[in-house]
Amino acid sequence: MLRLTVKSFLAHKVRFLLTAVAVILGVAFMSGTMVLSDTLKRTFDDLFANVFEGTDAYVRSTNVIDTPFGESRGRIPRSALATVEGVPGVEAASPDIQFFAQPVGDDGKAIGGQGPPSLGFNWTDSPELNTFRIVAGHPPRRDGEIVIDKGSADDGHIEVGDRITVLTQQAPKRYLVAGIARFGDADSPGGATITMFTTAEAARISGAGDELDGISVAAEPGVTQEEIRTRVARALPRHGFEVITGRDLTEENQNQVEEGLSFFNRALLIFAGVALLVGCFVIFNSFSIVVAQRSREMALLRAIGATGRQVTRSVLGESALVGLVASTIGLGAGVLLALALKSLLAAFGIDLPAAGVVVTTGTVVSALVVGTVVTVVSAVFPARRAAKVPPVAMMRAVAVEKPTRFRRRSVIGAGLILVGAALLAFGLFTDVDNRIAYVGVGALAVFFGVAVLGPILVRPASRILGAPMARFSGISGVLARENALRSPRRTAATSAALMIGVALVGFITIFAASTKDSIAVALKEAMRADFVIQPKGAFGGGPQTGFSPELAHDVAALPEVRTATGIRIGVADVDGSGQFLLALDPRRSDAVFDLDVKSGDFAALSPDGIAVSEKVADDHGWRVGSPIRLRTPERGTRTVRVEAVFGRGQQAGFTDYMISLAGFERSFANQLDAQVYILLAPGVSNEAGRRAIEKVVEAYPNAELKNQAEFRRSQEAQINQLVNLVYALLALAVIVALIGIANTLALSIHERTRELGLLRAVGMSRRQLRSSIRWESVIIALFGTALGLAVGIMFGWAVVRALRDQGITQFAIPPAQIVVIVVVAALAGVAAAHFPARRAAKLDVLQAVSSE
Amino acid sequence: MNPAVTTEATAVSSRAVDVTKIFGEGDNAVRALDRVSVEFASGEFTGIMGPSGSGKSTLLHCLAGLDRITSGQVFLGDVEISACNEKRLTLIRRDRIGFVFQAYNLVPTLTALENITLPLALAGRKPEKGWLDTIVDTMGLRDRLSHRPSELSGGQQQRVAVARALVSRPAVIFADEPTGNLDSRSGAEILGFMRRAVDDLGQTVVMVTHDPGAAGQSDRVVFLGDGRIVDEMRSPTPDAILDRMKQLSE
Repeated sequence: MLRLTVKSFLAHKVRFLLTAVAVILGVAFMSGTMVLSDTLKRTFDDLFANVFEGTDAYVRSTNVIDTPFGESRGRIPRSALATVEGVPGVEAASPDIQFFAQPVGDDGKAIGGQGPPSLGFNWTDSPELNTFRIVAGHPPRRDGEIVIDKGSADDGHIEVGDRITVLTQQAPKRYLVAGIARFGDADSPGGATITMFTTAEAARISGAGDELDGISVAAEPGVTQEEIRTRVARALPRHGFEVITGRDLTEENQNQVEEGLSFFNRALLIFAGVALLVGCFVIFNSFSIVVAQRSREMALLRAIGATGRQVTRSVLGESALVGLVASTIGLGAGVLLALALKSLLAAFGIDLPAAGVVVTTGTVVSALVVGTVVTVVSAVFPARRAAKVPPVAMMRAVAVEKPTRFRRRSVIGAGLILVGAALLAFGLFTDVDNRIAYVGVGALAVFFGVAVLGPILVRPASRILGAPMARFSGISGVLARENALRSPRRTAATSAALMIGVALVGFITIFAASTKDSIAVALKEAMRADFVIQPKGAFGGGPQTGFSPELAHDVAALPEVRTATGIRIGVADVDGSGQFLLALDPRRSDAVFDLDVKSGDFAALSPDGIAVSEKVADDHGWRVGSPIRLRTPERGTRTVRVEAVFGRGQQAGFTDYMISLAGFERSFANQLDAQVYILLAPGVSNEAGRRAIEKVVEAYPNAELKNQAEFRRSQEAQINQLVNLVYALLALAVIVALIGIANTLALSIHERTRELGLLRAVGMSRRQLRSSIRWESVIIALFGTALGLAVGIMFGWAVVRALRDQGITQFAIPPAQIVVIVVVAALAGVAAAHFPARRAAKLDVLQAVSSE
Repeated sequence: MNPAVTTEATAVSSRAVDVTKIFGEGDNAVRALDRVSVEFASGEFTGIMGPSGSGKSTLLHCLAGLDRITSGQVFLGDVEISACNEKRLTLIRRDRIGFVFQAYNLVPTLTALENITLPLALAGRKPEKGWLDTIVDTMGLRDRLSHRPSELSGGQQQRVAVARALVSRPAVIFADEPTGNLDSRSGAEILGFMRRAVDDLGQTVVMVTHDPGAAGQSDRVVFLGDGRIVDEMRSPTPDAILDRMKQLSE
């Protein structure tokens, strides 16, 4: 039987090629992701191992706030440096200060700020401890001199000897570029923008004063890392200091990168998984059709004595062969994809030094196993069906599809949908662990449920979808409709593949529209400010960016401005859980926001007080005067009192915890305004106000002035950017589904050769024939789209409901985008039909009518 | 011997002039038709007979524009279809020619009525009510119109095919072994219907068959042998045809 399997595979190469493409694409995406992430990991591992080679120990504060959205650590007293230097065996100890700093290029634009952070460091004099190496010029010798990383220097066309502005939390200041440095073998640490100052200037800018972020230690030869760590730790006071070895520091940095990568990795793998899931439907369908078309061959095998099991095994063997070949090709394509993505990342300024890619055994094995298993599993049903072909079927002319068993189908389909919906709800609305897993499995069950119901829905749906075609396209439309109806299972399975992609596209579309509406409503209700100053760049310029408080100060001083307040954001431990703290000037907040204060006096918020939203106050039973344990990096754990309760919390698209700017200054090391809110003085026109404010903002090339409408649009633009990225990733699944449509059409046309010949003989033109096949494709595509949109709307509604407490208050189905999805799906249907239709039209009439 | 065949009828529906058809090339070349000239008069029922391999089906295909000829000319009425491109041929097949094949004559997804009116639908025309009624009633299909082919017997299916061939009032109907797949009763019925199409409706039918009984229903039989026209017979009877066939195969 093996020989037969192989021969049959070879005989139907072309037929299997399309099937294989479905597997190839999914496996390519999967292995590409894995190769890229392994490559990046290896690159950064090497990089950190290299730059921390001379660091034997690191001293830092024990006070760290570690939350899912970020880490922030307190500082240590500068006096520790002398203590460490005095420890026997310490060859060198170097202070470490970090803060926000963004240089401005020769074109007046701020460099970086598009994702990777913009950081300022103090220059480390000890070459052993310095992670950077000068490649041009010299280290900063005076407070007015800086060294910048080579990546940023190239970006901003900056050379040694240039005078450039650097934006920090102090007022913008001009510096002389004394040198340009590389980070190990890389032009910059993963695309970050690094500006290095003298230690004194770094201390001034960061406001660290008598404090440091850490101390790097190099040991004398012969002293091990563990030894020096122990000695340093013993010399320092017991509380407040943490000493780790250089290896641990390296590993920590490597792990941080790995964590970031694994998030990115998992996100991409989810899309690869979606593509493979869609591929399953395509494979299932292809094998079903092939088995049906070959039922005579199967029957012949049975008639000459093959057992049902042998027939099943033969089909499964074919699928295993297809899967193996396809996943091997997919793996190769994946490596190429990883190379392409790597250069794409480089083009976006994410600097990757080493050449080549890392293909691990794990990647090879998982690509081959996943690709083959997916193919074989998808072929199980068709293979079992093949075994059920009775020997007598050999004598029958055409394979007839068994009538759909409506009852069984509706029960199973509806059951799967209900179970899926229940799992989805469980994952979305309760606090169980692994919520994502429940949501994922629930969504999967819904998809399968709808796919099972599909054949029942094909008839009514094709009638509706085909009606306008029959009306406007005459007999071509009628034939298209009837052909789509001909094999409901086939049409349904083909559409189901597209349904998945469209459901996810629809879901994202609805989710994005709902988020945008929610933002619009929140702004309308709560925002009183006329203008907002925002960091430039994608996603507000990244996490660690902002402006010097000088900006808000200068804007507030303008006669055209009544009030301006900056807001700062920090991560703190509030009552045992990591939370964002938003800080603003309490006396000015009322002018720019309507916080809907319920109790207490918000304007009188003291540096040791906190304001909380009504929602969290209710959840925790807090009221004005309640004590809350608050841990911040600079001040450790202390008890603060609730001084005000306000109505617009996170539920209204705001925040649940607020403190005063004065309180923020004491609690956090760095002071950067994330945004500045401005209310114009009475009688000042928007234009006049804008002109005046723009003059101040000009000095801050990383800042952008926006009025309310522009601010809303910029928020929307950020969402759009994310959504477009998701669309691009989902495109893969949609393409696989379209290949499925093309495949089904091609196989169906093969089956209908004789009928097509007849149609051509009695006078159907090639054009009419092509249009008939295109319409059939459009019906399949629109059916899948309709199912997908129904599922997508359901998912969207559920997720929006679940996120109501997170500020997604509105549910919106954007009609224009839905129309676009439908139109695009119809056009995609036309595109998918292109080659099958051409092939059908080229059939030789005489050969077709006389074919068996 | 290559006798020019002439008829006394006034109008000629279909005509082959010096038609040669060669399949394959070089050593493998097979001369399926060898300088065949033949005319088919309007309003006549002609049978084409000959042993298998004599080229009778090839002649029909060439006359109908389904197959290209190697040399010579083929006319339908005044139009030289051997000079037409594929697009033009399609339109001629749709509007001026009717087809009845041996089997698989119908589109399985369409009803009997839709199958009958298919050529008109392809042309985007509405059927002429009176003519359609005449055909449907002549073919005895009135109560079968909404049925799909799978719900019709073999004989009924062929009747639908004949009705479809008639619907556009074609210049000529080409039938390729129309009774080949039917039992003798249904076969006789179909021949009867085709006879009535000629007698009552004034249509022209050219039919390839190897059944002397079927050919006996025609007004005239043309005999082919080795790609040439070897004889013809007017008002034939099955016995006379059988004799002639015997002579031919000797």
